[in-house]
Amino acid sequence: MGLTFLNSTFLFAALAALLPLIIHMLSRRRVKTVDFSSLLFLKELERRKVRRIRIRQILLLVIRSLIILCAVLALARPTLSGLGSGFTSRARTSVAIVLDTSASMARRSEDEPLFDRARERAEEIAQLLGDGDEAFLVSAGRPAGELLPTGTFSVDVLRDALGAAAPDGSGTDYATAVDRALAFLGESRNLNRELYVVGDMQRSGWADAHDGRPAAVVAEPGSESPRIFLLPVESVLGNRSAGGVSVERKYGGASGALTITAAITNHSIVSADIPVRLVVDDVHVGQSGVSLEPGATGTASFSTVVDESGWHTGRVELPQDALDTDNVHHFVIPPSQRIDVLVVSAQGAPADRDAYYIKRALDPGGTRDPYACAEVPATALTYQEQGRFDVVVLADVGRLDSGAELWMLEHLSRGGGVAVVLGRLTDIRYWNELLAAELGSGVIVEPVERRNGLRVAPAGVGHPLLAGLVFGERLIDDATVTRAFRAAPAGAETVLELPGIGPLLTLSRPDRGGRVAVLYTGLDGAWNDLPKSGLLVPILHRTTAGLAGAGRATADAEVGDDLIVPYDAASVNAPEVELPDGRTVGAERLPGTAGGAVLRRAGQVGIYRFRDAGAADAGGAGARPHALAAVNMPADESDLTPAANGDFETLLGEHDWTIVAADTPLADAILVARHGRELWRLFVYAALGLVALEMWIARPRY
Amino acid sequence: MPEESYRRFLDPTVVSKLATMEVRARLVVEGFVTGLHRSPFKGFSVEFAEHRQYMPGDPLKHIDWKVYGKTDRFYIKEYEEETNLRGYVLLDASASMGYGTTGVTKIEYAKHLAAALIYMMLKQQDSAGLLVFDEVIREFVPPRSTPRQLHLLLSELDEAKPTAETSIGGVLHELARRMRRRGLVMVISDLLEDPDTVISGLRHFRHLKHEVIVFHVLDPKEAAFRFDGDATFRDMETGETMTTEPLSIRGDYVGAVEEWMTRLRRECAESRIDYVPIQTSTPYDRALFSYLEKRKRLG
Repeated sequence: MGLTFLNSTFLFAALAALLPLIIHMLSRRRVKTVDFSSLLFLKELERRKVRRIRIRQILLLVIRSLIILCAVLALARPTLSGLGSGFTSRARTSVAIVLDTSASMARRSEDEPLFDRARERAEEIAQLLGDGDEAFLVSAGRPAGELLPTGTFSVDVLRDALGAAAPDGSGTDYATAVDRALAFLGESRNLNRELYVVGDMQRSGWADAHDGRPAAVVAEPGSESPRIFLLPVESVLGNRSAGGVSVERKYGGASGALTITAAITNHSIVSADIPVRLVVDDVHVGQSGVSLEPGATGTASFSTVVDESGWHTGRVELPQDALDTDNVHHFVIPPSQRIDVLVVSAQGAPADRDAYYIKRALDPGGTRDPYACAEVPATALTYQEQGRFDVVVLADVGRLDSGAELWMLEHLSRGGGVAVVLGRLTDIRYWNELLAAELGSGVIVEPVERRNGLRVAPAGVGHPLLAGLVFGERLIDDATVTRAFRAAPAGAETVLELPGIGPLLTLSRPDRGGRVAVLYTGLDGAWNDLPKSGLLVPILHRTTAGLAGAGRATADAEVGDDLIVPYDAASVNAPEVELPDGRTVGAERLPGTAGGAVLRRAGQVGIYRFRDAGAADAGGAGARPHALAAVNMPADESDLTPAANGDFETLLGEHDWTIVAADTPLADAILVARHGRELWRLFVYAALGLVALEMWIARPRY
Repeated sequence: MPEESYRRFLDPTVVSKLATMEVRARLVVEGFVTGLHRSPFKGFSVEFAEHRQYMPGDPLKHIDWKVYGKTDRFYIKEYEEETNLRGYVLLDASASMGYGTTGVTKIEYAKHLAAALIYMMLKQQDSAGLLVFDEVIREFVPPRSTPRQLHLLLSELDEAKPTAETSIGGVLHELARRMRRRGLVMVISDLLEDPDTVISGLRHFRHLKHEVIVFHVLDPKEAAFRFDGDATFRDMETGETMTTEPLSIRGDYVGAVEEWMTRLRRECAESRIDYVPIQTSTPYDRALFSYLEKRKRLG
């Protein structure tokens, strides 16, 4: 807190407080000397009266000086302010308003959209602007953006921009928005600078940028950091969301049989029994339910059958609650697709080795449907085109050169799948020290050999990948392993195991992306009889399909993401997209020979239909979509928990920030911080009081 | 001179402008007398008292021709008139008596009053004496009724200047010790001293069966303390100074003065001393009336 003076020039007049003293001193000099007959009576009075007169004179002197001082200070308009703004008068102000337009602001609170209350608060800020004040308006959606392209000196323009703003389906990014607003304020020339953040202050919205904290404005010499006001708009926090839908093809069942699993989260503070509906192609096909404790996530599973030849849309629905946007989770089911597999073999590997068995198992007829296999030596891996293959199989390659390692890791980062067969040529040290960690797989403890053979068994109660291949506790066909590697699983899923030894086939998801499967025995007659077993083909097929993303959770796209869909460049001339609201916009063509379309920054929740604007069916009904994409509200937007004061301390610790409660009139809070508490009235009252006191003390006493 | 013209000689400011003390005394008295219905003067027989050498201007009828026949020198007979009263005029000539704001200082007023009293006494064939004092007796002329006494006393009055401090009580006691024969003591003073001392001295006269009349002379500002603005007051006798705010203390000052005068009045009344408070703006007739009344009571 600092004391400032809005009219500091008046302070020089404080010297006038010395006038009574000066006048008194001059008067004393000019006091005439009068010859009087006798001081007999005056002496007698001195004891009783004259001393009191002296005190009274001194008191009057002090009071008169104080009156002048109070008057001068009142004219100087002293204020107590949050920032020591120096000896400045009422300075112009630049304000930057960060308005939360994220999906969570669409929720209703007491029958009023929360965003409307936020807008009203922003209107209050606009009302406090005066001549010469400047305003910026930034949205705190994800990505953060300007609602006004530049600053404005017009309150009407600001109000129009506020009126046009609305919540979209995006997530929240307060941090980036604050950064941007600070940058605007840093360029402002006005002395007073204020930043207002208006929204529900979702905790999830304050992470990300700059290590979770907004970057401080680069201070200019002599300038001051802006004051930051947090204006939370509050509402009930009860919310449930549907998300994380995965579509898995059922193995061993009818064609097109799917298992659809949705993650349901209870964000409220009470337990809830939540009914869940499944809709496929706008047809209600399933009903389920979950019972969740506060803050818990559970899954609801459904089974359905679809025509694998085409695209399908789906959605998981929950009953309405405070925030409806996350009660529906959209997804798409792509048609069954050819999976391109690249088998990487060791240089000069004999024909009856791992790669041979893999290719024969995946594409025995050479039809390249559904698996199209290509084989390259490990030394040629670096030269393969990224993004062309869905799955790369390292068939007992031993070591990879650094270029091949980087290629493979890039492949994983793009979401590709990697299968590793560890066999005769495996370099244990290389595997343990380099690849295992990168692939998220277990390290090799030791090679194992059993002359009598070890029976291959399903792990646990049977992995879904083994559906239909397990009878009781045994696989439907026996397989025996004489040589393998004992591995220490590092969080990977075990599909097959060697009882008493360890995992035989594992699945893992590396941090960088993609999926990895590891077989800890080679496809070699000297190692096992898997190539002769009836298990090899289904396990290879299912593993490969899983690695290719057939079981990948759909609808990863969120509002604000770029939607990229691949297509045959030769068959699509003018890609366009039908948006969820029915409008059609053009899409960009992806560069490269693979072909594809890009829709930048999807702004709506729902299903996007990519078409070729140059094609149409015979019925003239418009082009059929060649790809669908689902866009949903960001998952973290469903957690309505607001950031706590401690969070703001961490996030904004370097700045001068204040929380203005929703029920606090903004004018009082802002003006107190902007101009401080004006004290001039206090000094006027003091001066008047002193005048009255002076008059009473100086009254004639005859 | 018309009667009204004589009345103006009761105005102290008028009298102060007159040339000589004798003229002042005479005109004051005549101004006073003209206001009376009958003359206050009485005739008395006289007895030869002494010879003195003739001086030009002496009345020829008083030349003692027998002494001339014997000595060839001219001598005047001075006669002692038969008097009823021996009057003592005590004039305070301390420095405080030099104060005055009306155009007439207290000492001037006192001197004129004293002169008038002396003139009246001598005209009435009473004997008059004069004592000029401050802290001590400066001049003392025993009471006589000779024609020369007036001139002598008026001369002394003329020369009296206000100096030194006051010590009325001491002087009164000393005079009381000196007085052999009863008489009328007329004190003309501002009495600015410890009242107990003053009253003690006055009572000493009464103890010795003298008659006393006190003319308490004050300046109007002394009594009312009407001063504007702050001032530094300097005691005319001691030189001490005091700065004060007259407006603020005036009420208390006046009260103190009134209380003081009330006490003096009361104490004098208890001792059957005539107390006549006058101010320098007061016409002289008031004082003279007081004297006449006193004189009448004394027969």
